Amino acid sequence: MMNVLNAVLSKIFEIIFIPFQNINPWYGMIVISLLTGILMLYVFKLTSDQEGIKKAKNKIKAHLLEMRLYKNDLITSFKAQGNILVSNFKYMRHSVKPLLVMIIPILLIIIHSNFWFAYDPLDINEKALLKIKLSEEYTPSNFDIKIIGNDFVNIETPPVRIDDEHEIAWRFSALKQGVHEIEIQAGEKSLTKSVSIGQRPLSKISPLKKRKSIMNELLYPVEKPLDKNSPVKSIEISYPTSGLRIFGMNIHWIISFFILSIIFGFSLKGLFGVEI
Amino acid sequence: MNNINRREFLKLGLAAGSLLTLSPSNILSKTLGKKATRKKIIILGFDGIDPQLLKNWMEQGKLPAFRRLWESGDFKPLRTSIPPQSPVAWSNFITGMNPGGHGIYDFIHRDPDTYIPIFSASKTSGSNKKISIGGYEFPLSGGDVKLLRMGKAFWQILEDYDIPCTVFKIPSNYPPADTKQRTLSGMGTPDILGTYGICNFYTTKPSEIDPDIGGARVHEVYVIGNQVHAKLPGPDNAFKKEHPESYIDFTVYIDPMNPVAKIKIQNHEFILKQGEWSKWKRINFNMIPTQSVKGICNFFLKQVRPEFKLYVSPVNIDPADPVLPISTPKSYSKELEKEFGPFFTKGLPADTSALTYGFLDDGEFIEQDDLVLKERLDIFDYELKRFDSGVLFYYLSSTDQRQHMFWRHIDKLSPIYDEKLASQYKDTIFNIYQTADYVLDKTMKKADKDTIIMAISDHGFCPFRRQFNINTWLKENGYHKLIDERKQGDTSLFMNTDWNKTQAYAIGLNGLYINQKNRESRGIVSPGTEKDNLVYEIARKLENYKDPETGENVILKAFISDKVYSGAQTSHSPDIVLGFNKGYRISWASPLGRLPKKIVEDNRDKWSGDHCMAPQLIPGILLTNRKIKKASPSLYDLSPTMLKIYGIPIPENMVGTPIF
Repeated sequence: MMNVLNAVLSKIFEIIFIPFQNINPWYGMIVISLLTGILMLYVFKLTSDQEGIKKAKNKIKAHLLEMRLYKNDLITSFKAQGNILVSNFKYMRHSVKPLLVMIIPILLIIIHSNFWFAYDPLDINEKALLKIKLSEEYTPSNFDIKIIGNDFVNIETPPVRIDDEHEIAWRFSALKQGVHEIEIQAGEKSLTKSVSIGQRPLSKISPLKKRKSIMNELLYPVEKPLDKNSPVKSIEISYPTSGLRIFGMNIHWIISFFILSIIFGFSLKGLFGVEI
Repeated sequence: MNNINRREFLKLGLAAGSLLTLSPSNILSKTLGKKATRKKIIILGFDGIDPQLLKNWMEQGKLPAFRRLWESGDFKPLRTSIPPQSPVAWSNFITGMNPGGHGIYDFIHRDPDTYIPIFSASKTSGSNKKISIGGYEFPLSGGDVKLLRMGKAFWQILEDYDIPCTVFKIPSNYPPADTKQRTLSGMGTPDILGTYGICNFYTTKPSEIDPDIGGARVHEVYVIGNQVHAKLPGPDNAFKKEHPESYIDFTVYIDPMNPVAKIKIQNHEFILKQGEWSKWKRINFNMIPTQSVKGICNFFLKQVRPEFKLYVSPVNIDPADPVLPISTPKSYSKELEKEFGPFFTKGLPADTSALTYGFLDDGEFIEQDDLVLKERLDIFDYELKRFDSGVLFYYLSSTDQRQHMFWRHIDKLSPIYDEKLASQYKDTIFNIYQTADYVLDKTMKKADKDTIIMAISDHGFCPFRRQFNINTWLKENGYHKLIDERKQGDTSLFMNTDWNKTQAYAIGLNGLYINQKNRESRGIVSPGTEKDNLVYEIARKLENYKDPETGENVILKAFISDKVYSGAQTSHSPDIVLGFNKGYRISWASPLGRLPKKIVEDNRDKWSGDHCMAPQLIPGILLTNRKIKKASPSLYDLSPTMLKIYGIPIPENMVGTPIF
C-alpha cells in the first residue's frame, strides 16, 4: 500500500518538477506552493461549511460596526465584544474540519518536497560521510562489513567503528556525476544506497535509507527500504543542506513554502469562489 | 502587456527571479563604479623578502620573473623603518610618514599609567552602558574597535581623487580605515578571542609540553571507550555578569584499530585520518538564546595512539559573518567567502606558536601554511583577473613566516641547527621565494605598458641566534631596581619592579623607555637635561656592550627617538629604539617585562630568523619595471610615488618623496 502511494506521489513530483530541474530552485518552489495553495483552497471549499463561515464572518463585521456606532454605550459595546468572541469561535469551529482534512495531503507534500529542496547533491571531489547504524545486537568492531569498490566514489578512510553508537562511518569523495548505487556487503547481505553527484539545481536526494516499517516508508519514500530483518538499521549520506537564497539570505525551504502557499491561497480564493 | 510579447515577458520574469537570488552587496558592488585610469599600479608586498637572498637566487637564474623585472626596470634595497618591525614598516608605506607621524612604534606599546604592555595597532573597548537583570548584563550600546595608526592611508587619498584601489591583507590596517575602496585587513587582525591567535591542543600527555606557554592552550583529555570528550574555548560571555568563558563541547570517536577518528562538533561530523587536516568548520559560541559569536576553525588529527593528540587552529573571524570589522566595504569579505569559501582572517595565519611548542612539526606547519597560500593565491587570481584600473595591492605573509621558522635550517651557527632536519627542510625558504616569483610572473603577464609593477618587502632577514635580556641589562647597570632580588626571573609584567627607584625599562621588541616624571605614573626622572643625559648614557653603554660569550657587540645602534622621528605622534615614542647586531634580538622574556638572570642567552626557539635588528642590516626589496631615480629609496617614499603617478599633490605631513 505504502509502496504504491510512494511510487505515485514520487512520479507526480517528478512530473511537476521536470521543467524546473535546470533552473533556480525558486521556480520549482513557486510552482509547488501555487499548486499547494490551489489544493488547500479546493479541500477547504469541499470540506468546510462555506455558508456557516460566511455567516460567522458577517456577524463579526456587524458586531464590529455595532461597537463603533455605540462606542459611548458601555453595555452595548461589551455585548458586541462578547458576540464577536462567539462568532469567532463559530468561525474557528467551521475551519477545524477542513484543516484536519488538509493535514494529510500537506504532510505528504512536505515529506516529498523535503527530498527536492532540503539537500544539495555532492559536487565532484566533494567529501561526505557514509554512516551505517547497526541493530543493538551487533557490535561494529566485530561486524563484517565493507563497501564494494566502484568508479563513482572514492572511499578515503578506513571505517570508524563506534561500538557505543552501533555506528560505522567512512569518508568518501564524489568522483562521477549521476545518481549511483553504492553497494555494501554487510555480513551475508548485500545492501545498496543511492548517492547523487553533480546533479541539476533541483534534484531529488535521499540522505537516509531505513529499515522497513510503515512510519519509515512514510517518512523516507524515495528509496526502497532495507529489509525488516537486516542487521543494518539505516544507511545515511551526509549531504550538504540546501536553502533558497533571496537578497543574500539563505531561507529554509519550508518557510518559503508556507509563506508562498498562504499568499497563493489568499490571492486565488476569489477566483475559486472560496470563503476562508 | 501592450508592447511586449509573451516570450519577452517570460525573459523579464526570469531576470527578475535571478535578481532575487543576488545579495544587495552584489548589486551594489556592481553599480558603485569609479573612474577608469589609464595608468595602473600593481604592488606586490612580499613580507620579509631579503635583498641578499633574492639577489643570489636571481643571479643563479632561480627566480626568473624577479630577474626579468630587474632587467626591465630596476632593483634596489628598500630602506625599512626604525625599528624594522612589520606593523611599523607597513605603516610607513601606507602613510608616507615615519612612526613620529603615524604613531606605530612597535608591535607592543605600554600604558604609562600601569606599565602594562598594550597592542600598538588597535584598541577594543566594550559597551559603557549596561542593564543588569539577574545574572545577565545587556549592553545598551555597541563596543568599539579603533585603529590606532594615524594619518591618511594612500588608498584614502586616492579615493578623494576617485582612483579605485583594492588593498588585500595589508598589515597595520585593523580595523580597516574608513573608506569605500575594497580593503581586507591583514596583520593585526585578531582571532575571535581578540588575541593574535590562540590555538588549542588536546592531548592525553600534557607533561610533554612546556607549561610556560603563551599563544596556545593545552587541554588534558582522556580516551574512554575510544571516545574523547572535550571543550573548545571561545570568547568570554559579556552577557553574563561574571563574564565566564564560552565553550563548545565536542566528541572524538576513535576507531578501535585504524588510525582514524570521527569528530562531532555542533552540526559538523567529519572523519580525519591520523595526520590529516579538516576543512574549515563554522562554529557558534552561544552567549544567550538570541546572541552568538560565529567563528571558523580547522582541526588537525596529529596522533590517535598510543597518545591522543589533536590540534585546533585559533578560531578565526568568519568572513561570511564577521563579528568584528575586517573589510571595507563590509560586503567585501562576504564576497570573497562566497567565491572561495571560508578563509584565514587572522592577521598572521600560519600558527608559529604551534610549531614552537611542538603541536605541529616542520612538515605539518608547512602543510598549514600551504593551506594559507592556496587561499591567498586563489584570491590573488580573482583580484588580478578583474583588475583594470587604479591600484592593486596584494600581500603575502608566508614569505615572512617561513623565514622566521626555518632560518635554523640554513644557518649552521644556529644553536638548534639539526643536520638531518636541515637536509629535509633547507629549501623551504627558497620554495616560498619561488612562490613569490610565480605571483610576480602572473602579474607581469597581466600588466600592459601602462601598468607600473612594484615588488616590495618591508624588511629583510637575519639569523636570530642569541637573545638579549634588556631589562636584566638595565638592572645589572643600575637603571632598573627590583623589590625582591631573590624573585628575579620569577615574575612577568614588572610585578617585581620597584618603580620608585627605576630609571628605565623596556617593553616591546625594540623600545626602551625612561621612567619619566609626569608621563609615567610613578616616574622619577625629570624631563629635560636629566632625562637627556640618561638617554645618551644608556644609549652609549648599550652600543658598547659586548656579548660575554662571543665578544660581539649586541647593539649595533641605539637610536635616540628625538633624532629619528618627526611628526604629530612623537610624544608616544620610546626614548631609545634598539638596533640589534646581526644574530642578536631582544629576548623572549623582555617584551612582556620579565627579567631572567642571564643578560645574553642562546635562542633555542624554532623562531630562528628575525628582522628586529638595526635597519641598515636588513633593508627590504624594491623591484619595479621603471628606472628608480632616487638613490636610496625608503618605504615611506612609495605612497608619495603613487600620488605623483596620478598627479595628486603630496600632503605636507608625508616625509617621503617620489622614487621616479
